[in-house]
Formats: sequence, structure tokens, C-alpha cells
Amino acid sequence: MKNSILIKILLCLCCVFFIGIACTSSISKEKKPSKDTSKQDSIALWIKASKNKKLTSSQQQKQLEKAYLKLQSTTKDTLHAKNLSNIAYQYLELKDATAFHKINNETLQLALQLKDSFAIADAHWSYANYYYHNKNYEKSYFHYNIAYNHFEGIQRDFETAKMLYQMSFIKGIYRDYTGSEVLIIEAIKKFKALKNYEQLYFSYNFLGGLQKDIQEYDKALFYQEKALAYLDRFENKKNYRSSIFNNIGNTYRYKKNYTKAIEYYNKALSKKNRPDQLARTTNNKAYCKLMLHDTLGIQQELFRALRIRDSIADKTNILSSKIFISRYYEYAKKIPLAFKYAQEANIMAKKLKNGSNYLETLQQMANLDPKNAKQYLERYIQYNDSLIGVERRVQNKFTRIEFETDEHITENKLLEQQKNWIYLGSFGMLLIISLLYILKVQKSKNEKLLLETAQQKATEEIYLLTLEQQAILEEKKVQERNRISQELHDGILGKLFGTRINLGFLEITKNKKVQEQHQYYLEELQDIEKEIRDVSHQLNTDTTNTDINFTNLIAQLLQDKSILGNFKYKLTLSEQISWKTVNELVKVNLYRIIQESLQNIIKHANASQVLLAFSKEQEHLVVELTDNGIGFNSNKTTKGIGLKNAHSRIQKLNGKFHLSSVKNQGTSIHIQLPITITI
Amino acid sequence: MNKYTALIIDDHPIISEAYKSALLQVQKQQENISFNIHIAHNCDTAKEIISDFSDRKKTIDLVFLDISIPPSKDKKLLSGEDVGLMINRVFPSSKIIVSTTFNDNYRIQSILKNMNPDGFLIKNDVSPKELVSSIVEVLTNPPYYSKTVMKLFRNQLTNNFILDDIDRKILYELSLGTKLKNIENVPLSTSGILKRKRHLMQIFDLESSDDRGLIIMAKEKGFI
Repeated sequence: MKNSILIKILLCLCCVFFIGIACTSSISKEKKPSKDTSKQDSIALWIKASKNKKLTSSQQQKQLEKAYLKLQSTTKDTLHAKNLSNIAYQYLELKDATAFHKINNETLQLALQLKDSFAIADAHWSYANYYYHNKNYEKSYFHYNIAYNHFEGIQRDFETAKMLYQMSFIKGIYRDYTGSEVLIIEAIKKFKALKNYEQLYFSYNFLGGLQKDIQEYDKALFYQEKALAYLDRFENKKNYRSSIFNNIGNTYRYKKNYTKAIEYYNKALSKKNRPDQLARTTNNKAYCKLMLHDTLGIQQELFRALRIRDSIADKTNILSSKIFISRYYEYAKKIPLAFKYAQEANIMAKKLKNGSNYLETLQQMANLDPKNAKQYLERYIQYNDSLIGVERRVQNKFTRIEFETDEHITENKLLEQQKNWIYLGSFGMLLIISLLYILKVQKSKNEKLLLETAQQKATEEIYLLTLEQQAILEEKKVQERNRISQELHDGILGKLFGTRINLGFLEITKNKKVQEQHQYYLEELQDIEKEIRDVSHQLNTDTTNTDINFTNLIAQLLQDKSILGNFKYKLTLSEQISWKTVNELVKVNLYRIIQESLQNIIKHANASQVLLAFSKEQEHLVVELTDNGIGFNSNKTTKGIGLKNAHSRIQKLNGKFHLSSVKNQGTSIHIQLPITITI
Repeated sequence: MNKYTALIIDDHPIISEAYKSALLQVQKQQENISFNIHIAHNCDTAKEIISDFSDRKKTIDLVFLDISIPPSKDKKLLSGEDVGLMINRVFPSSKIIVSTTFNDNYRIQSILKNMNPDGFLIKNDVSPKELVSSIVEVLTNPPYYSKTVMKLFRNQLTNNFILDDIDRKILYELSLGTKLKNIENVPLSTSGILKRKRHLMQIFDLESSDDRGLIIMAKEKGFI
């Protein structure tokens, strides 16, 4: 019994626990504010409007401001963070750095508050983007790395791969080819799993470029072919194709296979091109032609590329255009011109901090100006060393960033784990404590019950013993009575008889009066004999009255309790009940219930009168115990152990137990039991 | 002149003396009657006297017999009843007057049935005069029964049902307060006795299954 109760308690606790969790989680999920829907709609609309390229940038900014103001009035939840992030990104697109910083920071703080990993990552992504465009690659890498870790943590594979791609790209810029390759291969794995062919195209294109940079041209061509193949598997913009053709052409160019290179450049030029692409390909093609000593139209082409680049202010590429033009003039033996362009390129490269081009121009200048060649070469060596140093430093920094983020993450994980353990531990403790408490309560309850049963048993035993004692006493009484009866009858009566007869035969011869008196006394003696005989007879026949034990006991009980409880009582016993036929067990139980009830009357009822009646209705024994005490509300009160006991006792005997009580009018117990009980 | 041999068996000397006086009174009143009186106070003496007479080929004509007397040492004769049966056997012609203080119907009935005495006196019924007349009656015109015995006969005659020995025995035992399972001398199981009891209840037209009512009724009707 104890075990089953324990199991129940455990189950209940578990249920409560899980329901609790379910509730909190469902609440947090379903708590999307419905009243905000219209607001959300208008915010989304304004953000969309801000992307409209037909508007001026100030108009676009106005739309964003409206969206931002409206957003302030909505609840600070995940959706709020998302909208904020969108607005920040739009500001970034509009190149409003101040607004971007302000709002993106707000986004990040809110995301951290909400512990919304996606929003956190998103904000960092925006930062990374911002720094990337500002060519602050170190900071950009830092944010990409954080975003990467968050995206990975919530298993957003596409975003994770995208971050890897960006990080790889930055590493590539700093000539950390191995690190870059590792990252891009990781990204490719993820894109492959996602079957995102566009991103695969970009990734392979970039990987091809990397291979080209480390002079693994065949590998580069292999990856670039792969990128080209992926182009067929998704609907793409046409300039993707010209871009890959240009890159393949570049690989061949570096491989010094200029004919093949020109072939690919032509392919690229036959496709639709953006102006910068057009300029780049034209420039590259012209350079290849130069290398093949085919100078026809080269000058025009080179200058066309430069013009295009000038018009779109593509500084890096203007630089490379100028380098090519310098090479062309060198070839055309127009040394001063060649030197002029090389010098211009050199200054630009220094300004743009474009190390490789700076070195190239220095070398070029050294070639063109043999007099000062030593000086240029010295600068070249010095700069090359410092460039390598910078690159190494940056590479180290990247590693440190990665390491620190990893460390931070593991630390966070550890903290999270610790927190979890604390929660689990405290919950466990709580469970154990409550279990212990319940166990203790149960134990004391059981002990009480055991005590109660033991007490009950004891009273029953006492009753039976009293009954036995009473029976023995009664038997002795009967024996004694019989002995007296015998004595009277056999001894005294006989002797009296003898004496009387003898007296009768005495010759009384005096006067007549004496004779009459003699006769009279003789008759008197005979009467005495008769009386004695009757007494003896009665003594003997009263023996059948030995079955009043139970009622005697009840009467005794009532008397005792009435003194204790200071009440008057009346005991009514129907003559119809033959107590001898009533089962002893019934008597024991009745005695016990009456005893208990009387105890209750003394303790609680404050009664001045108690009526106890035993009667017989058909084949049922009916017991009625009524008091005129203060009573109680029998509907409301939960059953006490005594009442429950009485109930179960009577039920076991196939009887009925009914208790009714009216406040201030007393309580009455009605028991009905079948007389012939087979137990 | 008729000379009778009389034997008085009673454990109380005073009573046996009284019987002797009565016999002498009869002898005095009836000139043709005389008694040769012997007295025994217990079963053993009674048996000795009987044996003695029997040995001498003589007979005992009249016996005053008390029922509750000390039994013989060999426990063969337990009461006056056994002695009476012995006398019936040894001297079939002897006239026995049972004189006892017993007044319960069952015992009277069983003595009447077993011994069939010529006189039955309940001591308390009897006055000296009646005692004398009872002796004369038994000698000349038996039987003589005292008042209580006569009443019993009358009661039984008015009952229209018959109880056998076992019924009577059961009733008798119950009247002594014997518990059902302790009733011996009845060749029945407890349930058999219960059946008889229920039957008796029906006969006496009783509703409750109380022994008390049954016994009172049986007494009233003169069965015990």
C-alpha cells in the first residue's frame, strides 16, 4: 500500500513538472501579439519601400525612419529584433553608418536580452558586412566568426556556410591560403548538403581562385570547371558566366597559356557584362595579346578599360589598368610613359595599401629606371618583408579570434552546463525533500493507524475477557444457587418433614384447645416447607437467565460513561431480541461502536441526555443511539477515523450505518444489522 | 391377623422414625394388621436387608422408598430408584411407596414409568393423617398418589400431544441450563437436538427461539 502511494506521488510530481515545462514553452511560443499584426504589416511595408531603388536615398531613409518609429511601439520580442535588424541592414545598404551603428547595436542588445541566437548572429553579420565594405577585414572577420558560432549553435546550416565562405574570403585576402582553403571546403560541404548550387558555384569559383594564387593552375582549372558545371544547375544571371570565363581565362593567363586565355576572355566578352567586368576582361585580354606580341588595338583596349574604370571610380582596378598600360609602354619602348604609369600605379597602390600591386609597381619601376633600380629594389625588399610581417600578424590575429571565440563559447557552454546542473540539482533536492516529507507523513499516519488498530484489538479483547469473566461468574453463581437449592430441598426440607410427621404422631392428650393448636402448628410447618420448596425451586429455575451478559455490559458501559460525561441515559431493550442467538462478533462490534460513539459524545457533543435503544424489525437488529448535544454539519465534515471504522465494521457484517446530525439539536446514529449472520 | 414385613429406606433418621410412627399408628388403628419394621439409611444397608430376606426365602411386603439416598459403595446402586428396581426384581409382589421431596414432573414421570410404584408421595403434600391413610390404601387398594402427582396426571391428560423420552430428556437438560453441545445421554447429534428443539417450539406454539420460553412452557404443561 505504501509503495503504491509513493509511486502515485512521484507520478504526480513528474506530471506537474512536465506540464509546467510544457506550459511555459507553449506560452512563450504562442505569445505572439495579435494586436501588433497591423503594425507589423506597416513596418514591413516601409522597410520594403526603403529598398525601392526608384526613390532617392533621402526618401528611402525617411521610409526607414518611419518604420523605426513605429517599431518602438511594439513589444520587444523576437519579431522586434528581426525588424530592427532589417532596418539596420537597410541603413547599411544606404551607407548611413551612424544610423546603422545605432540600430544594429540596439538589435544586438535586444537579441542578447532575449537570448535569441539567430538575432545575435544576424546583428554580427551586419557588423561584419559593414566592416567588410569599409575594408576593415580584421574587424569584419571578428564579427563573421561570432556570427558563425551562433549560427552553428542553432544549426542554421545555410547561414553557417555563408559565414565560412566570408571568413575564407577574408583569409584569402591576407594570403592565408591554407586557412582559407580549409574554411571554403567546410562551406562547400554544407552547401552540398543543402544542394544550394548558386553558393556552390561561388565557392568553387573562389576555391579555383585560391588554387590559382598558390600556382596550382591545374587544380584551379578543375575547380573552376566544377563551378561552371554548377552554373547549369540553377537559373543564373548571365554575368555569372562571364565572370567564371574571365576567371578561367586568368588561370590560363597565369599559366602563360595566352591563346587559351584569350579564348576564354572572348567567351566572357560574348556574354552580358557589367561595366567593371567588361573593363576587367578587356584589360586581361589586351594583356594576353601583349604577351603574344599581338599589339594590334591593344592600346585602345587598355585605355577603354581604364576609361570605364575611371567612370565607375573602381580604384583597385584603375591601379591594375595602369600597371598593364605601363607594361604596354615598356613593350612599345616608350619608357618615360611606361615609368610614368608605373609611378602613378605605385602611388595609388601605396594609398590603397594594396601590397602585391605596390610590390609589382616597384619592380616595374626598377626595371624601367635601371639607374635607380637598386633604390626601388631595396624598397621592394623592405616592403615585402613588412608585408609578410603584416600578413603573418593578421593571420595570427585570426587564429587568436577563433581561439578566443572558441574559448568564450566553451566557457559559455560550461556556464550553461553549470546552470543546468544547479537547476537539476535543486530540483532533485526539492524532489527528495518533498519525498522525505511525504514519507514521514505517511509513516506517522501508518503508525497512528497501527496504534488505532492495536487499541481497537485491545478493547475487543477486553470485551471478550469481560464477557468470559462474566460467564464464569454467572456459572459460579448458578452453581452456588443450585447448591443452596439442593441443600434446602434435600436436607432441610426432609428434616422438617420428618419433624412434622413425628410431631403429628405425638399423642397430645391434654385439652382440646391444645390439640387444635398442635394441629395448627403442624399445618403452619407444612406451609413453611412449601415456602422453602418454592424458594429452592426458584433458585434452581432461574438458571436460564444467564444470557443477559451483553446487555449487562452495555448497561454497565452506559453507566460508566454517563458518570464521565455527566449525562442522563435511558437504555431500552426490546424483549423480542434473543441475545443468545446474536453472533458474538456482532456483539463485539456493536459494543465497540457504542463505546466509541459514547466517547465522542463525551468529547464533543456536550449532551445532557443519551438514549440507547435495541429493537427488532423483522429479521434485523436495530440499534439507535441519540444525544441532545451540539451536533455538527454531517454533510460538510470529513469523516474521522472513528466514523470510518464504524462504517467499515457494520459493512463487514452486511449491515447499514447511518449518521445524522443537526447543528444544536444533537446527533443520532442508526445501525441496522441482520440477526442471522454467517461470517 | 396379617403380619407385614416393612422396609423403610431414608437417609434421615427423623424421617424413617416418622414412617415408623405412621406404621405403628396403622397397626394401632387396624387391629388385624401388624408390622415387622426394618430400617435402612443408605443403598448398601437396603441391599443387605433385601439380600438377607431373599436368602431366607422371605419376602418384604411394604417398602417406604426415598429417592435421594447415599449411593452404594460399589456405585451399582446410585439412588432410591435403583433400589426400587431391585426390589421389583427380587420381590415382585412387594408394594413400594415412593416418598420424595422431588416435585419436578420429569423425575416423577420417569420414576412412575420405570418403577411403577403402588404409592407415590411428595413429602410436602403429606400430613400425618394422609400418611396413615396412604399406607392403608396401598395395602388394601393400591395405588395411592399424593396431590402433586395427581395434578401431573391431569395436566398430561389435557395435552393433546405426546413427547417421547428423548424430548423430555432434552427439555430436562435445558431446564438445568446445560448447553446444547454438552447434552449427553441423548443419542442425537447437536443438530439433531436442535431439530427436536425446533419441533418442540412448534408443539408449544412458541415464536421466539428462546430456551427460557420453552422451559417455562414445558413446566407448565408438566413435562419437566
